Amino acid sequence: MLLPEPMSRIVIVGNKQRLDEATDALYSLKMIHLIDHTVGSDEGFSIGAPRPYSEKASERLLSLKAVEKELDINVTKESDEPMSSADVRNEISQNRVESIGKEVFEVLDRRSGIIQKITEESAKRDVYAAIASIPVDLDLYKGYRSIVVLVGSVKADPTAALSGLADSELFVSADKKMIALFVKTSEREEALRILTDYEYTDISVPEGTGPVGDAVAGINSKVAALSAEKEEADKELAALKEKHGDDIIALDEELSFEEMKGTMPLRIATSSHSFVIDAWVPTSKTGAVVSGMNERMDNNIYVEVMEDRSRSLHDVEHAEPRFKETPTKMNNGPFARHFEHPVKLLSSPKYQEIDPTLILSIFFPLFFGFMVGDIGYAIPFIILGAYGLKTAKNKDFRAIAMALFFGGIWTFIFGFFFYGEMFGMHFVGYATDNAETWMSLFGLHFPEWFVNIFPNHGHGISKVEDVTFLLKVSIYIGIIHIMLGYVIGFFNAKMQHGTKEAFFEKGGWIITFVGLVLFAWSMTEVMISGVSFGDMLPFILAAAAMMVAGIAISIKKEGGQAILEVPGLFGNILSYARLTAIGMSKAGMALAFNYISITMIAAGLGGIAGIIVGLLLFSFLHLVIWVLAILSAGLHSLRLQYVEMMSKFFVGGGKEYEPLEIKRKNTKIVETEV
Amino acid sequence: MVDEGTGLLAIGAGLAVGLAGIGAGLGEKDVGAAAVGAITEDMSLFGKCIVLIVLPETIVIFGLVIAFMILFTMS
Repeated sequence: MLLPEPMSRIVIVGNKQRLDEATDALYSLKMIHLIDHTVGSDEGFSIGAPRPYSEKASERLLSLKAVEKELDINVTKESDEPMSSADVRNEISQNRVESIGKEVFEVLDRRSGIIQKITEESAKRDVYAAIASIPVDLDLYKGYRSIVVLVGSVKADPTAALSGLADSELFVSADKKMIALFVKTSEREEALRILTDYEYTDISVPEGTGPVGDAVAGINSKVAALSAEKEEADKELAALKEKHGDDIIALDEELSFEEMKGTMPLRIATSSHSFVIDAWVPTSKTGAVVSGMNERMDNNIYVEVMEDRSRSLHDVEHAEPRFKETPTKMNNGPFARHFEHPVKLLSSPKYQEIDPTLILSIFFPLFFGFMVGDIGYAIPFIILGAYGLKTAKNKDFRAIAMALFFGGIWTFIFGFFFYGEMFGMHFVGYATDNAETWMSLFGLHFPEWFVNIFPNHGHGISKVEDVTFLLKVSIYIGIIHIMLGYVIGFFNAKMQHGTKEAFFEKGGWIITFVGLVLFAWSMTEVMISGVSFGDMLPFILAAAAMMVAGIAISIKKEGGQAILEVPGLFGNILSYARLTAIGMSKAGMALAFNYISITMIAAGLGGIAGIIVGLLLFSFLHLVIWVLAILSAGLHSLRLQYVEMMSKFFVGGGKEYEPLEIKRKNTKIVETEV
Repeated sequence: MVDEGTGLLAIGAGLAVGLAGIGAGLGEKDVGAAAVGAITEDMSLFGKCIVLIVLPETIVIFGLVIAFMILFTMS
């Protein structure tokens, strides 16, 4: 429950000829966490070579990926109708990938040819459009022996400057930006010299005949035809996506597995005739692994359990580097499992430490419920959480739904039995100047037994008025919570290093903490409750002695900086005051919002319409509180787990247990397969 | 009408929470900006960033506790 599952290290030895079968067997067992072989760790062994089929598989996968990219196919989606993997494999062997690739790339090539033509024609048209207002036919721009034609852009009309050139003719476009100058070949240099002042830039006029306008019209119709062709090609591609889309996803998945299996030898040790696989498996599954492998390989394989890894770090220190880290397989029940996600958000626990998931799954919803504590908000939380658990598939959403569901249940329990309120109003009690109760609002008379449910003479605890009491409760909860963190820390240290080390590592802190709590308690008794200092002196002295002893033990282990952590510990305890503070802020808002909307309804302004508006306002304002409750209560509750409690013991940084397995989304295994 | 002393105490309580809130806000502003940057680079840092972002928040709680202590002296 609290500890990750115990792990054993096994070694599997077999004949290299049967590596493919062994690979299939390993994948089908779904329990083997492979330990990557490192070069030189075993004499006579080297890293294996990829299987021959994997090269072909990667080649096919690559071309499939190209097709996916071009057709914009999302392979991560889950298929509604998975195909049988035998069919998919059959299709692969019949060169289905190649035929799809050929079909798709034929259309793609055609399409890119069309696009290129469109670009070329458009560029031609741009030039024609620029010189369109020059009344010269296209065939007149070329084919002279003694005349040169200068066509280009200018920044201003050069007519006056060029008037000195003998036997020349200048055409200027309507917008004065383009010119076409016909001069004798001998005058070319002179003309260019003059045009330099006008920032003349030469352009070449594409070949053509007839008036420019006609040429532009011709190009336009050509481009239109090409665009139609392109659209046709796009349609073809869409049709191909429709036709092959599901197959491509399935092929992708199957090929990925093939490649994965084919490259597995790169992770294991091989000699010329045999292979050796080191792996972690859960200790409880070693028997199943041994018999499973033997059964699948007709006893032609050797599997031995090398060690059952203990939680002691002593074992780790003496292990070979590649065997030092043991993967963590979190071991939680069906409910607590959903809270693994928030723990992993911070970090995966190490194999040698207590998994905080269970503690989190208890305290996170509990704190949430304590802070919100209102039936009116609890019921929507429970409904939303249950709905989320029923429909959501995404891990994140499931975790949120779980938190909402259990948070909602605790909110209900606290809201009813502790605070006795709904939508910020108590059930029982008389109305005050600014706060109604459900009893006063509807003139209800609750039976005796119902009233007796609620604490505080049947009123329930008020989040706004009984602040002192709630603060005390919060601080006590905090003390228990932090203490729990230290105790877990103690057990972690005991497991990793032994009792003596644990005493120095966490025992010192536990003593300091108890001393600090005693000290704070006796000081509040003196300063706030008014108990005389003399009466409290024995407690204060005892507290001081514990703190000094505790810090001394911690200093021995951690050095002088241990002293600096003591004020932080005090801060940790005070931090739980937020349990009250958040609840109070919610209640304060609810009080104000109820005052606004109920006054509005009671005043009867605008008759029925006024009542409706008042009710709408009531619903909307409470929705605001409800949404804020998720954010603030959720985050603060999580923070108390992460910062105040888990920092007392949690190290994290563990490696997750990832067994070799094939997670099929889009294909499925048919019954006859191994 | 409350007397001047009580009024001053109430103002003090307000200042304790308000100023502590501003301080925590300033602290969280910098951490939050850096954390968002880090998360964009690597999503797996989310949990650690949350822890860092909320650290300055405790300051507000200190302010709140002081405010309560002032309010208790009032009543």
